[in-house]
Amino acid sequence: MRELFRGKLVRITAEEPETYAKSEVHWQRDSEFVRLADSDPVQLSSEKKIREWAEKRFEKGPQPDRYSFTVRTLDEDKLIGFFGLWINLIHNEAWVGIGIGEREFWGKGYGTDMMKLCLQYVFTELCLERVSLGLHEYNARALRSYEKCGFRLEGRTRRDILREGRRTDTLWMGILREEWLQMQNGENQ
Amino acid sequence: MNDIFTGKLVRLSAFDPEEMSKAFTRWNLNSEYGRLLNSSAHRMQSAKSTAKWMEKEAEEMSPAGYYFSIRTLAEDKLIGELGLDVVNWPGRDAFVGLGIGETEYWSKGYGTDVMNVLLRFAFAEINLRRVTLTVFEYNPRAIRSYEKAGFRHEGHLRNYLNREGRRWNEIYMGILREEWMELNNHAPSAVLGA
Repeated sequence: MRELFRGKLVRITAEEPETYAKSEVHWQRDSEFVRLADSDPVQLSSEKKIREWAEKRFEKGPQPDRYSFTVRTLDEDKLIGFFGLWINLIHNEAWVGIGIGEREFWGKGYGTDMMKLCLQYVFTELCLERVSLGLHEYNARALRSYEKCGFRLEGRTRRDILREGRRTDTLWMGILREEWLQMQNGENQ
Repeated sequence: MNDIFTGKLVRLSAFDPEEMSKAFTRWNLNSEYGRLLNSSAHRMQSAKSTAKWMEKEAEEMSPAGYYFSIRTLAEDKLIGELGLDVVNWPGRDAFVGLGIGETEYWSKGYGTDVMNVLLRFAFAEINLRRVTLTVFEYNPRAIRSYEKAGFRHEGHLRNYLNREGRRWNEIYMGILREEWMELNNHAPSAVLGA
């Protein structure tokens, strides 16, 4: 059997709402992180509010069209980030969102390891046909990481984002099941 | 108009909790109907309490559950209920439950027509890979109807039911997407001109 929740650098975990809130409240203070991860304005929420929001999700229980995970490093067991899937059940495809809140883990292969685990889960456990994602054009590090995981650039929305007086594009990427399966023959088998 | 919810004798219509709970309560007075539909001990429920849970179901509009009422084309009469529950998304399998509550519409092809419409919805709209149902050994009319719609016998739970001093099997039936496509000459729907 494949190890679904363990990669080369990170493992997927489920966190208590309190633990997660402590990390998230700290991540949101890094405005650069928020601007790389999202297009909404940087906003601050209290630890209590984040915890309540996480608790609410817990109470609602598992939803077939929504999966969210947190990620810890293998060597220090440090909570560094998250990823989530929004599934369109009818068309059997999903959007993925991913982020590493702890900036000292940027540019070291952690994100790529996380995304590989995510894709393995998507294609071997959820049996979806494709995964989509969007990113800001100014996030070159993410673009390279997604390419390494097998995502292809599929298009762009031109100048839809305004950051500090400069308009930038949103890039759209996707990976198909066949493409992912083909990659598995080469590596990660 | 191209309406995938209309068959030859019936059409599927939206599930109105108020109307449905009244009909449901009346159909349930017939214990034979209850025994053909459910394996639990037959019990009665007030229209009010039935409406309550139906409203809750209708409100949720979950992608995992689809509920319809069944109406005749000729008289627009509410004659039955239909539910499709997707129980396994990775496997893309759903359970179907079908009941014709108005007994004068039994054995006249209405149930088969409903199932044909439902399978088109399941395979051409929801993109499922298989549809599953269970039926009781003492319901040969339903078994025959499901066979006509393309379901195959896949297995049974032996002596699962105890009815009137006898034990009966619960039968599992299923149909795969490929089988359904073949039955329909690989033309799942006119919507896309396929």
